[in-house]
Amino acid sequence: MTDAVSAVKLRKVYGSGPSAVKALDDVSLALQRGSVVALLGPSGSGKSTLIKALGFVSPAHTGDVLFEGRLVVKDGRALADLALLRRSHLGFVFQKANLTSFLTALENVELACELGGKTNGRKRARELLEYLGVAHREHAYPEMLSGGEQQRVAIARALANEPSLILADEPTAALDRARSRSVMELFRKVAHERGAAVLVVTHDHRALDVFDKLYEMEDGALHATERKVVDAAV
Amino acid sequence: MNLALRDVRRHVGRFVGTAVGLGLLLTVVIAMQGIYAGMVDDATILTRAMRADLWVVQRDTRGPFAEGSRLDPSVEGRAASVPGVRRARPYTYQLIQREHRGQVMRIALVGLGWPDDPGHSLALVRGRRLAQPHGEMIVDASLGLGYGETLTLAGETYRVVGLTKNALTSGGDSVAFMSVADTHLVALDQPPEAQLLERQRVLERLRRTDLGRSQPSLEALVTDPKWRSPALSSPPIAAVLIDADPHRIEAVREVVQRWGDVTVYSQAEEEALLLGGVVQRARMQIGLFTLILTLTATVIVMMIMYNLTLEKTHDLAVLKLMGAPRTRLLGLVLQQAWLLGVLGYAVAYAIGEVAFPMFPRRVLITDTIALIAPLATMLIVTLASILGLNHVLRIDPARALEG
Repeated sequence: MTDAVSAVKLRKVYGSGPSAVKALDDVSLALQRGSVVALLGPSGSGKSTLIKALGFVSPAHTGDVLFEGRLVVKDGRALADLALLRRSHLGFVFQKANLTSFLTALENVELACELGGKTNGRKRARELLEYLGVAHREHAYPEMLSGGEQQRVAIARALANEPSLILADEPTAALDRARSRSVMELFRKVAHERGAAVLVVTHDHRALDVFDKLYEMEDGALHATERKVVDAAV
Repeated sequence: MNLALRDVRRHVGRFVGTAVGLGLLLTVVIAMQGIYAGMVDDATILTRAMRADLWVVQRDTRGPFAEGSRLDPSVEGRAASVPGVRRARPYTYQLIQREHRGQVMRIALVGLGWPDDPGHSLALVRGRRLAQPHGEMIVDASLGLGYGETLTLAGETYRVVGLTKNALTSGGDSVAFMSVADTHLVALDQPPEAQLLERQRVLERLRRTDLGRSQPSLEALVTDPKWRSPALSSPPIAAVLIDADPHRIEAVREVVQRWGDVTVYSQAEEEALLLGGVVQRARMQIGLFTLILTLTATVIVMMIMYNLTLEKTHDLAVLKLMGAPRTRLLGLVLQQAWLLGVLGYAVAYAIGEVAFPMFPRRVLITDTIALIAPLATMLIVTLASILGLNHVLRIDPARALEG
């Protein structure tokens, strides 16, 4: 399988001198299409910084990021239109669903289709809501949806542009156990059926069995982790 | 998908409320402009209505509107004899205040030189011009007198035979046109007691002078009930209006200007006197007030637009993270500002249509105001959205990841 995104020796330091904090310490990582990967680690370990770097939101200070084999960020310098890259090839899911408050569920997904340059946005949005089991709530505004429904709509939105890479930052933090597992399984389904690479930052160790690979971050450094090690730690 | 309209749809009540608020502000701004335009028009309408080429007034005065002017009636005859003069008309102007049907009525009485001038220059909306030298009047509809209605002035009854529209003074008082002779009757109206006192005063002066002592018959003359005081018997006029041959106006002016007792103004100069004297202070006052109101409206709209944008910060951060083009996000703010402007102006227009005719002063929406007001509104809302646009540009998409 091809790599959706790969990072080489990413380094990012906040502050300077003795109080400097290494948010990313020579982090290298490759995410293959069709795989669902978990990123574990305590608060402040650098997970969000890595997500921002891989999502072309806030680049690392040094190191390169390649997208589908193409060098896009070199030593913190963008070599392509990052906004265009995000809207065309990336999907984001957040801790809170972060749906656009003044758009209905359907419109949230339709807008993402439109930004991603997809034709028949409304039809595609309906299909995605159907796929994620929330089609019956398409006319509801975000505030009218339950937490689980909001996350399903958010995932539908993340899928709207047929992304190569989905980045999810603690998407189940606000959900109960059953809904949390359901969402994680959705990510697996999306990765396997749609061929996207999915990176999920999570503290939730109850559903780690759905992931193909686990990574753990500590003090800005990234380590591949065996599932049984994590289970033992829990 | 139009994000601006979608956002408005979601918060339609608040948006419409804001537009109504803006509309009320714009109504005041437009009203001030309209009042000013009405004041200028009112100030000059009287001079324009008389359609004279030259205004002859008392020497070294800026009469008859900016200040009082008293001319000997003989000026009319002298002016008529100047080569190139087609017609010379006497003109009087005075303000009176009377009660009519329990209402206080302020009237600017303008005298027409009947029979030469029965009101040919007046644009009547109903009725006819003066057909006799006494007992008839043409009034402005704003006075509240109906066609055919009568009004008692100086003990005489005057019938309304014609109505004009918007014949007002710079002070906003309605104008009534009658013959010069009738305006004199009104001006010189005195109760019997005042006439007796006047006779007594003249008699006493006569007895103190050599003339009175040497000619006792003068006393008999003064005490005769038919006698009128010289001060009352030869009433002055305010101005003489000259209609001249178009190509000889300047020549006529030069001749009349040489007379020692008069000053001559052209129609344009007479209007400039009114605007410069009577209206100038009001113009500055209203101009400054309008400027402050416009700035206030801009600041208020700016804060409204900024707050509307601020509330959407997280939504905008998410959209930025999703890669929404900058133009689309800026468009959201700008389009809402423009929509607010359009709705606000529509509200102002609607309120103006209903409320302006009820204003005590005439609110004149000139073509210029009708053109400038909507353009200025759109300019104001565009400028007012600068803070909001700046905020959109400064939103960091990473904020969307911060929960």
